Amino acid sequence: MIKSPSSKNKPGNVVLELRQVVKTYTSGNTTFNALNGVSLQIREGEFVSITGPSGSGKSTLMHIIGLLDTPTSGDVLLQDRNISRLNETQLAQIRNVTLGFVFQQFNLLAKTSALENVELPLIYSDVPRSKHDSLGIEMLTKVGLQDKLRNTPAQLSGGQQQRVAIARALINDPKIILADEPTGNLDSKSGKDVMELFHHLNEVEKRTIVLVTHDMDLARQANRIIIIKDGQINIENV
Amino acid sequence: MFNLKPSIDVLVKSSIRSILKNKSRTILTSLGIIIGVTSVILLTSIGNGLKVYINQQFESLGANTIFVSPGKIFNDKGGFNSQSGASRFIATTFSLTDVAELKRAIRGVTIVPVAASAVDIKSSKTTKTNSSIVGTTYQYGASANYVPSNGNGRWFTKDEEDKKADVVVLGNGIANDLFPTGSALGKRIIIKSKNMKVVGVIDKKGSSFGGPDVDQYAFVPIGIVFEFNGNQNVNQMLIKTSNKDLVAQTKIDVTKFFLKKFDKDAFTVFDSSQLLSSINSIISTLTIGLAGIAAISLVVGGIGIMNIMLVTVSERTKEIGLRKAIGAYPRAILVQFLIEAIILSCLGGGVGIILGWLGSLAINNFFPAQVTFSSVAIAFGVSAAVGIIFGVAPASKASKLSPIEALRYE
Repeated sequence: MIKSPSSKNKPGNVVLELRQVVKTYTSGNTTFNALNGVSLQIREGEFVSITGPSGSGKSTLMHIIGLLDTPTSGDVLLQDRNISRLNETQLAQIRNVTLGFVFQQFNLLAKTSALENVELPLIYSDVPRSKHDSLGIEMLTKVGLQDKLRNTPAQLSGGQQQRVAIARALINDPKIILADEPTGNLDSKSGKDVMELFHHLNEVEKRTIVLVTHDMDLARQANRIIIIKDGQINIENV
Repeated sequence: MFNLKPSIDVLVKSSIRSILKNKSRTILTSLGIIIGVTSVILLTSIGNGLKVYINQQFESLGANTIFVSPGKIFNDKGGFNSQSGASRFIATTFSLTDVAELKRAIRGVTIVPVAASAVDIKSSKTTKTNSSIVGTTYQYGASANYVPSNGNGRWFTKDEEDKKADVVVLGNGIANDLFPTGSALGKRIIIKSKNMKVVGVIDKKGSSFGGPDVDQYAFVPIGIVFEFNGNQNVNQMLIKTSNKDLVAQTKIDVTKFFLKKFDKDAFTVFDSSQLLSSINSIISTLTIGLAGIAAISLVVGGIGIMNIMLVTVSERTKEIGLRKAIGAYPRAILVQFLIEAIILSCLGGGVGIILGWLGSLAINNFFPAQVTFSSVAIAFGVSAAVGIIFGVAPASKASKLSPIEALRYE
């Protein structure tokens, strides 16, 4: 059964909107539409999951939502600003201040302390250097790792590493947290903890979360499920 | 102006850290630059040391000395004339008349004629064959700074010169050769069956690298050499002015005087600074050439750095993808990897400078070597430039990686 949106979580304004997004890949003479006219809206405070079988265009959609890629046609609007034609540098700067990424592989820098990993997005931002440490400590405290500031990834468990990654995703106060199979590399206990953390961030801190997963059970934990198939939205379950 | 984020010091710090993560690789990578810079520093230090040494030698000759030699010694560009030695020096000789006329024409200077010969010299112990003897005047010792120091005798006097007395002043080297044990002073030697008394031994002067070795010379009154040679040809004249400022005008006057008698290519009037600048230009060319050859290894070192940076970029593809995803724009990545390459090459440059400096200290024990600030600055600048030149390709490759592809990379 699909979980109904909790009453205390009322979606607000549209943060990100996709309008008739098409993404075409060309290989030699053949073209392939990974996304074939996808339109969707993500509202402030939502917990949305995107799911679908492999090859469905799920990853491509995630890249477009994550501003890592631009559509072949159609528009992407971030807070009513059309960003579908921006260049790489402009997109990087927007990603830096509006998005928080959580990856299946954690993607922490090796031999680098948890605190420095968490602060990494800030070195590309305008946040003054004097605030980096206090913000980093605040975020690690939020994910329960205040006593692991100086530990390197190798000295942390998988679950702890993913929580460091979540702290890193939170440090720039993002509009959207984009999590790509965040529990895929974790045991079930750690996976459950990470999902609980996402629920907490959504329900208590009113964070907007987009969870990309192939796991239907995990997808069902969101307020809304978008199922994608053959490059099109198959079912949108509000 | 492009606002660089992160700031340089953050990038330098993270670059140093990633370089330290691979210590042995860093050392091996920098080795090419280390060897290149070490050899550049060593070779330029030898060149410079040589220059300083020769300059000191010339200074001891005195800056107020003018030489007049037969033949054309310098070419029009200030270098040495490349004609063969024979045509250069034997073309014309001066006569005692020339000397006397010059003395009358130019007043207020000391004019010392020199005549040379090669003869066998015998002592009670040994024989030196084909030794250089220099016939000159009583004034030569003071003019050329060859007067023996206290306790080593004296130069010959005017009286001895006029009487062609059988006295000889020996260079330090030949004195030791003739009398290996004990002092040569006061002993007698036989020069071409003439029994002569050693009245002075000149202090050690040292050879001027291929130039005449004063230490092997024997100096006698000029009349004796005229007798040996069977003529009164003067091979060279030394003109000593009372001070340095008169050198230029005296040279002009002397040149005018000789132009009346000889063709302009038949003689050369020069002072030690002119000789010195010619020698210096030769040493500089030599030093630059040698350093240039050594610099080839810097290019090899640069290629090594490029190679390892390309490896680093593909090893860290995922890191680059992550950095891009969280907000690193292409130029931030480019600068990060460029700084890493520059630090690697500057590290090599720094170590090379230290090794080159230590090496030149060691060489200095048996050969003059002197590290100059400019050679250090150039070596460091070149290694930084090598880092930039060979770091650009890998860094630009990194900056162009697509974040999606990079994150997917295994």
